[in-house]
Amino acid sequence: MTTAPYNYSYIFKYIIIGDMGVGKSCLLHQFTEKKFMADCPHTIGVEFGTRIMEVSGQKVKLQIWDTAGQERFRAVTRSYYRGAAGALMVYDITRRSTYNHLSSWLTDARNLTNPNTVIILIGNKADLEAQRDVTYEEAKQFAEENGLLFLEASAKTGENVEDAFLEAAKKIYQNIQDGSLDLNAAESGVQHKPSAPQGGRLGNDAPSPKEGCSC
Amino acid sequence: MIHFLFVLHAAKAKDLEKPAEVRASRGPGSPHSPSVSPRNQHAILEAAGPSHVAINAISANMDSFARGRTAILKKQPSHMEAAHFGDLGRSSVNYQGQETRSRLSKTVDQIVRDTMAVPYYIQFMEARSADYLVRFWLEAESFRSTSWSRVRAHSLNSVKHSTLAEPTSGLNSPGSPDSPSGVRRTLGDATVDLPDPFSSQPPSRPLTPSPQDPNSHCGPGALLHRNSIGSDGGQRPGTPQQPHSRADTPTRQLSSRTGTPLKVPTTNALRDLSDKLMKSIERDAVNIFTKYVSPDAARPIPITEQIRNDIVAKICGEDGQVDPNCFVIAQSVVFIIMEQQHFIEFLRSHHFCKYQIEVLTSGSVFLADILFSESALFYFSEYMEKEEAVNVLQFWLAADNFQDQLAAKKGQYDGQEAQNDAMILYDKYFSLQATNSLGFDDSVRMEIESNICREGGPLPDCFTTPLRQAWTTMEKVYLPGFLSSNLYYKYLSDLINSVRADEFVGGNTSAPGNNMHSDSDRSTHASEGSQAQGTKRAAIKILKNFDEAITVDIASLDPESLYQRPYAGRMTFGKVNELGQFIREAEPEPDVKKSKGSMFSQAMKKWVQGNSDEAQEEMAWQIAKMIVNDVRHQTHHDSPGVKSTKVQRGCVI
Repeated sequence: MTTAPYNYSYIFKYIIIGDMGVGKSCLLHQFTEKKFMADCPHTIGVEFGTRIMEVSGQKVKLQIWDTAGQERFRAVTRSYYRGAAGALMVYDITRRSTYNHLSSWLTDARNLTNPNTVIILIGNKADLEAQRDVTYEEAKQFAEENGLLFLEASAKTGENVEDAFLEAAKKIYQNIQDGSLDLNAAESGVQHKPSAPQGGRLGNDAPSPKEGCSC
Repeated sequence: MIHFLFVLHAAKAKDLEKPAEVRASRGPGSPHSPSVSPRNQHAILEAAGPSHVAINAISANMDSFARGRTAILKKQPSHMEAAHFGDLGRSSVNYQGQETRSRLSKTVDQIVRDTMAVPYYIQFMEARSADYLVRFWLEAESFRSTSWSRVRAHSLNSVKHSTLAEPTSGLNSPGSPDSPSGVRRTLGDATVDLPDPFSSQPPSRPLTPSPQDPNSHCGPGALLHRNSIGSDGGQRPGTPQQPHSRADTPTRQLSSRTGTPLKVPTTNALRDLSDKLMKSIERDAVNIFTKYVSPDAARPIPITEQIRNDIVAKICGEDGQVDPNCFVIAQSVVFIIMEQQHFIEFLRSHHFCKYQIEVLTSGSVFLADILFSESALFYFSEYMEKEEAVNVLQFWLAADNFQDQLAAKKGQYDGQEAQNDAMILYDKYFSLQATNSLGFDDSVRMEIESNICREGGPLPDCFTTPLRQAWTTMEKVYLPGFLSSNLYYKYLSDLINSVRADEFVGGNTSAPGNNMHSDSDRSTHASEGSQAQGTKRAAIKILKNFDEAITVDIASLDPESLYQRPYAGRMTFGKVNELGQFIREAEPEPDVKKSKGSMFSQAMKKWVQGNSDEAQEEMAWQIAKMIVNDVRHQTHHDSPGVKSTKVQRGCVI
């Protein structure tokens, strides 16, 4: 199994949604560049960033669409929700209003994405404990009530940022494994590509019991 | 693979012309009304009144854009360097507004106005027993637009023969000249701005009083009744609808109308046409009413009694005119139902996938189709990233979104806020210290600067020039490569898979054993499945010389035809028959484009839409070859690479 860095087997499409200023772009930037953008301008419309990570032994590229949180961009960003395999719904733990708006974001996400899109709730700015305005417990409860994964993270320190993306990816991969997500369907938000060129064995998972023509 | 590319390219080149023409001939009416054929368009244009000028101006604008873009596509690109932003789009001035449509349409409004999409939508709705909603909407919409054109034609004619009748106007009843304005007075219906079509009604025309009960006013029953009577010869459309005129004779008609008593006979033909037009409007309205609106209809649309009465009133207008807009309110009710209750499911359905497949294999895919479809965009983004040109795309996305949201405000926006937004883009892509400089030249940069620093803030067309350049670059430099890439094939095959998955009831796409993440797993399952007859859904991998595969459900093929080998023979190139003609026996060239369209699109059509026998046979033959190969390869492990490349090339699917 080759270890070339660009040898990924899957591409998962993510979207990041949430109120303006909660740190969506910073989370993305921290994840893709491993740096904190101290004063980044707000996002105009959408941007996307990518990174390859290892998920359950598979190399997966994440194509992450970072949406503008400003209300004025809401209409245009809605068109990017469809076909997302995973969604990061972000709020700012130091601003209660961003937490209160979650139901609105969740409604959009549920309406516009697939039924089995994995949604993970992220409470960002966890490093600002002193200004905390939303407790971990209540957000955790909200997440559980709505079937969401949940993590508190900090784009500034990097805490839990990788995990945020990874947890969602694991869940997506699991869905693929158990068949609830059809890997080869359009609009699933997943591109599947064998990492080896034709003729080679695929992936680094256990060899299939029925080894035959691998093309 | 290469040959396949050629086929696709050939198909694309040939078909480039067609869509542009269709687009260019989109005449009056909404720019999104492709349902009106070009012929109809001309008829409408001819029949149109003074608004014809305005409409023409608009459509000319769109035409020049469409033609400009076609011209670009047909031009040989001079350079293909990524950094070269030739403004090949110079002639397409107003690209912005027109380009928001992907033919992989997304909104209800776009779907119902897209002739290619509508059949799929109807199929989908049929499956939910809700097709009457769509059909009503479509018929009502068509009725509305054609009625207006008929009315205009009518008015045009009446103006014509009013002029002709001028010399005889001395016989007119006093105070009622043949002018439309005078006639309008008698109409008394402010909402219907129509010249009176009856102004030229000749007294000599027999006006048989309607056999209807004079007391029954125009209600659903009356409409149904009248419908069953059939077309009343010589009867003006509006006549029977007026209770007071029914029992009347033509003289009453005369006094309530301002027709001239005597007409020049040469205008009879025009009058006949006018009559027919108005009558046909009425007939159509009644038809639609009977089919969909009347409570007695098979599936009446769910509208309130009030709306229904309103429709009745508008069909049986007191002035005798059918209001072409009579169904508009009902249409909007139905539209909302379609949008809220059915549309999201449609977008997730295999019908929509089928439609997308048809668009994508039609031989001419436009950049708009890709950029405005989020599923295609997913793949295109990956492609651009691999091509290291993702900045062009990012810029285009951001600037286009910026302009869109600004335009949507219709002028009511905070100029400062807009300026701040625009500056963010400027800093990122244009300024001399830009982090993601795209290499726009100085003139563009200065234009942007002045657009942004405009008094009152930037306008929604602030970034049009660089957007156009980015668009053109993507279109000329990257789109062709994308459409020939792995990724695109994968996208198409995913679409096809979605269709298959949905079409099988209880269709979970996992073969028994369930491990979906390995392509080899899938193929071996599949191949074995095909051999083991018991498997319900045997899938065969067709395209093998790539990472990806397009799988086909073999169950949909006639097993017998799989083994037909029309070209099996002595493997000679050909022979000379008794007439001295050379008959070729070799396989046909794979990249010769067949008249029916590229093999690829043919294959897609076959799987997706049903097929003709010949197509099926052809495909089956090709599939058979692949199966044979597959089987051979599997049973002969010691002969690697048995995949006969020759055969493969021939089996371009």
